[in-house]
Amino acid sequence: MPLKSLVPTALGLALLAACGGGDAPAASDAGAEVLANGLTVKAQIEARQDSFKTLGRNFKTINDQLRTDAPDLAAIEDAAATLAETAAGLSDWFPDGTGPEAGVKTRALAGIWETRDDFNSKASDAQAVLAALSTAVDTGDLDAISAAVRTTGGACKACHDDYRAEE
Amino acid sequence: MESERHRTLIWDWTIRVFHWALVGLVAGMWWTAQQGLMFWHKWLGLALIGLLIYRLVWGLIGPVTARLIPLVPRPRALLGYIRRLSERPYQASFGHNPLGGLSVLALLGLLMVQVGSGLIAVDVDGLFSGWFGHLVSFDTGRAAAEFHETSFKFLLGFILLHVSAIAAYALVLRTNLIGPMLTGRRSEARGPTPGLDAGASPFKAGLAIGTGLLAVALVLWLGR
Repeated sequence: MPLKSLVPTALGLALLAACGGGDAPAASDAGAEVLANGLTVKAQIEARQDSFKTLGRNFKTINDQLRTDAPDLAAIEDAAATLAETAAGLSDWFPDGTGPEAGVKTRALAGIWETRDDFNSKASDAQAVLAALSTAVDTGDLDAISAAVRTTGGACKACHDDYRAEE
Repeated sequence: MESERHRTLIWDWTIRVFHWALVGLVAGMWWTAQQGLMFWHKWLGLALIGLLIYRLVWGLIGPVTARLIPLVPRPRALLGYIRRLSERPYQASFGHNPLGGLSVLALLGLLMVQVGSGLIAVDVDGLFSGWFGHLVSFDTGRAAAEFHETSFKFLLGFILLHVSAIAAYALVLRTNLIGPMLTGRRSEARGPTPGLDAGASPFKAGLAIGTGLLAVALVLWLGR
């Protein structure tokens, strides 16, 4: 095989190899410290990630329904209730010591703890718009529900823009 | 400039439009993904589906240089081609050479994987999903989105390999591959010209493009 034809091949393989590296796994003993609430740092971070997944899951349910010709109001109502319930403790999900310094994989940015008041107020905003969403769902008016969903999306985004790391 | 008579058609006009539209679309899809412009990402993806379906149909009914099944590598032909790469002057193939054919299959395969995973991908906040994201659970959609991101790295790797191979053919083998992809023709003197017709029959082109458009309509009809 002539050297010349090897050049593009080798270049391509090198590129592929360079792409292979993903996120480095966190050290297994990281996040073992126990917090005031009895959870380890790692367990706290994982619990809040699960809670955010619950929010995403239920938000998807609502969005999926709103894109159908005949949205299932009962499904929307359930999802909206779960959203409000899940988000109730939002600012408590971020106790001191559970930021990026914990050594556990998290997209939470240090800014949460640096400008805690702003973070807490954005968390309350999210809870308020979720309550408004539930109210809108009770009216059964699809336009009102859609508008409330958009407001909710905006409240989520407001916090994510400042306090969540890009993927 | 040689006269048309001495320049042989190897890429029909639909293949050339497909190729350059693909370049623009993939670039656009990358950019919209980077910018988080998921609304546009989804619409560009729909156009990509149409292009790929056209290409698959064209790979079955199109002219000889567009056919996909002959691109499946036969080891002997592939090794023979690699051995002949050291001969000068380099003899250009009529259509895809065995290595280039492999590259086409890899790129098309990866693009299909990309489109397939994107169709059911769901974003982390449950705000956006692909055209068929409503058919899968949040967790499945998230897994598809993670996969979509990883498989793009492979696609990008193969695109870079494709571009560097074109550069190597130009610099090392003194063979311009970009010109024929623009004009459809290469000089007869550059390699064997078996006299096969690489042109697009208007009826078949209509059939392939129509099938692509039909696929787009189907996604719009069934998707959300």
